[in-house]
Amino acid sequence: MRGLLPFVVQRLFRALIALWLVSTVVFVVMRLSGDPVPLLLPPDAPISEMERVRRELGLDRPLPVQYAVFLGNTLKLDFGRSLHFRQPAFTVVRGYIAATLELGLTAFFLAALVAVPIGLLSAMKRNSVLDHAAMGFALIGQAAPTFFLGILFILLLSLKADLFPTSGRGGWQHLVLPALTLGAFTMASIARLTRSAVLEVLRADYIRTARAKGLGEMIVVAKHTLRNAAIPILTITALQFGTLLGGAVVTETVFSWPGIGRLAVQSIYNRDYPVVQCTVFLAAVMFIIINFAVDLLYGFLDPRARAS
Amino acid sequence: MAVTRRELLKGAAALGAAGALSHAVPGAAQAQTTQKKELVVAQGGDISKLDPHFSTSSNDIRWSFNIFDNLTSRHPDGKLYPGLALESKLQGQTTWVLKLRQGVKFHNGDPFTSADAKFSLERTYDANVKTMVATVFTTIDRIDAPDPYTLVITTKKPDPLLPARLAFYGGQIVPKKYLESVGNDAFNAKPVGTGPTRFLSWVKDDRLTLEGNPDYWGGKPDFDRLIVRSIPETAPRVAALLKGEVDIITQLPPDQEDRVRANAATRVDGALYAGLYVLAVNSKRPPLDNPLVKQALSLAIDRELIVKELWKGRGIVPSGPIAKGDNFFDPKLPPLAYNPSEAKERLKKSGYKGEEIFIETTVAYVSQDKAMSEAIAAMWKDVGVNVKVEVIEYSVRAQKNREKSFKGMYWSDPTSTLADPDGMMWRLLGPGGPQDYWRESKFDEMGAAARFSVDEKFRAEAYSQMTKVFLEHFPWLPVIQPYEDYGLQKYVEWTPNPNQQFEIRRFNFKFRRA
Repeated sequence: MRGLLPFVVQRLFRALIALWLVSTVVFVVMRLSGDPVPLLLPPDAPISEMERVRRELGLDRPLPVQYAVFLGNTLKLDFGRSLHFRQPAFTVVRGYIAATLELGLTAFFLAALVAVPIGLLSAMKRNSVLDHAAMGFALIGQAAPTFFLGILFILLLSLKADLFPTSGRGGWQHLVLPALTLGAFTMASIARLTRSAVLEVLRADYIRTARAKGLGEMIVVAKHTLRNAAIPILTITALQFGTLLGGAVVTETVFSWPGIGRLAVQSIYNRDYPVVQCTVFLAAVMFIIINFAVDLLYGFLDPRARAS
Repeated sequence: MAVTRRELLKGAAALGAAGALSHAVPGAAQAQTTQKKELVVAQGGDISKLDPHFSTSSNDIRWSFNIFDNLTSRHPDGKLYPGLALESKLQGQTTWVLKLRQGVKFHNGDPFTSADAKFSLERTYDANVKTMVATVFTTIDRIDAPDPYTLVITTKKPDPLLPARLAFYGGQIVPKKYLESVGNDAFNAKPVGTGPTRFLSWVKDDRLTLEGNPDYWGGKPDFDRLIVRSIPETAPRVAALLKGEVDIITQLPPDQEDRVRANAATRVDGALYAGLYVLAVNSKRPPLDNPLVKQALSLAIDRELIVKELWKGRGIVPSGPIAKGDNFFDPKLPPLAYNPSEAKERLKKSGYKGEEIFIETTVAYVSQDKAMSEAIAAMWKDVGVNVKVEVIEYSVRAQKNREKSFKGMYWSDPTSTLADPDGMMWRLLGPGGPQDYWRESKFDEMGAAARFSVDEKFRAEAYSQMTKVFLEHFPWLPVIQPYEDYGLQKYVEWTPNPNQQFEIRRFNFKFRRA
């Protein structure tokens, strides 16, 4: 494991730069998109009232000053007070994270646990009925828009078949449809990628060698194939976590799931800068942590990654 | 992104309705009676505030009007009734004496007295509190509480609408002692009122749980618990109703009503919106400064068609600036006319030379705004108007509204907060109002005089004169007075209120028992 520490430090540094870039982009974009003050006050509020609020929120100061204050506060996890909820933004967002994590992680593991075996089976039984059926479903999963799938699931599995509640957060039954909806795209991507990665490896010389020396098929698959196919699968799986966070915005809205995706959309409509900044920042942190973990896993799985 | 999603969702829902799915309802939900003790309501938006003085959003006031009481109360029939005040008498021109109900208790056990009423009303315009309802009681000069059950309100000038103002937002009565001891934030998180429901818990964006107040002076409501869920998308909200998960849903769009009606266990009910959907006009921009052009534009709109096709009949054609149901609405005035050949005539007479006329439409700021814009643009093109439809975003609209920089017409849904023209056309179109783009001295004189007159006959005449001026100049092009519809289980007996209050007091809500 020589060379692991510099590798970790380097990745950590990159992660921090990514965080800084993300927060800067959010800061700029939110300010480009319009003034929150008219949305905060009743339409007939006088100009003096508008100016008072603007001053109170620090929106009357020059942009570079606002930016410097913003960066300093971000380091302290202080994203300011929500303009809409009139509470610290971090307090507001914190209340929504658990719901998103519950949904996101369920969808993520559901996707991975279903997709990897399916992809593997598809590759091994290439061109069989099973392969065609699995890849057909995967294509639908990748192509169907999240909100369409969500509504379809509600109509079919909830209203018609009466298996699950239509929306809201509650027991595990409430989790099934949103997790399926959210995980569909990820599941499809992972299944398709697993299949092609495994096919690729199955053609390699060392697999032929393994078979030639008389190893059982199980060992060939488990020890030789999967471990070598794992790197691309891991990459796409980690990247898919970002897709999941993005998909949560729509899924949470369709299923009225009280998570940060829905909060982010509402806050954008409300021009609630602090909450938007806080949600995007935290989503970026989650994404970066996952990627960082995957980077470390690479290093563990493939010594070549450490060298580069 | 939101646009496409919404439209596609509608498509997906229509798909469901067209197929066999629409009738697929589990047997349990078929009942026309119920033994339920829990009322579940799903609304289209999240609750942001429970402190009644910090929000005017319909998603919030539906519930704050049930946690709190007002001094006066506007029932679903549109009339004013006693609330925490048993009677309000005008002495002279500017002094209102209110006799308060005795023996009323707040949910924490504290007695309700005139000190709470005085504190509540003064809190709305207290500059230090910075409420969202600071403009509601600007006519008040002074409030006195000579004894625990008498409140004396003195207005700066005669204010005929004070009892109406007390009934709407800003007028909810909060407990002085409790609020002062816990502070604004804690009060918002755990509100205490005198109303028919008591606060139990609130999970933001998920559900609010209230319980029926057994000690309510108007009788315990017909449920033990009231659960409010927010389901922002229409299709899942309707699905929750059809499946029997919820008892009432708000914001039911006309294109979903057939599904609710087709289902054996559910029904549709609505109230005519206390207000109008209008194209507000920036009358300072030529050629919209020319009354003849605006008359022509009005004559070229086939409102009947819009009501029939886009709204599936769920609305009526307005006759002028006063909404049906308001004071001084004139039932003899005919609906706004559709006459394309007369429209062409007036355009010709106006000297209109094909200048561009803009509709800056929002998408879902008011229901159907974009679809109505496109329909109206087509009607105007037919009479030779060079019309351009531009889509603007919600916040851009807010900014243009603030700066008064609209290029032509834009959608507005003037609400009649007091069931009176003063609270609608004069509040919005009057000098310095948020939609002040046009002035006409006669309109202004009458509006100002009617505001401060307690002579009902004089006010009736003034608003009739103002309507005449309005119909010549069209500072708004009224398009429709829509119904606001709800989906309900058939075992629910409940009447919607036109002003978006959600009245669940005993006189207006009942579960039908077997």
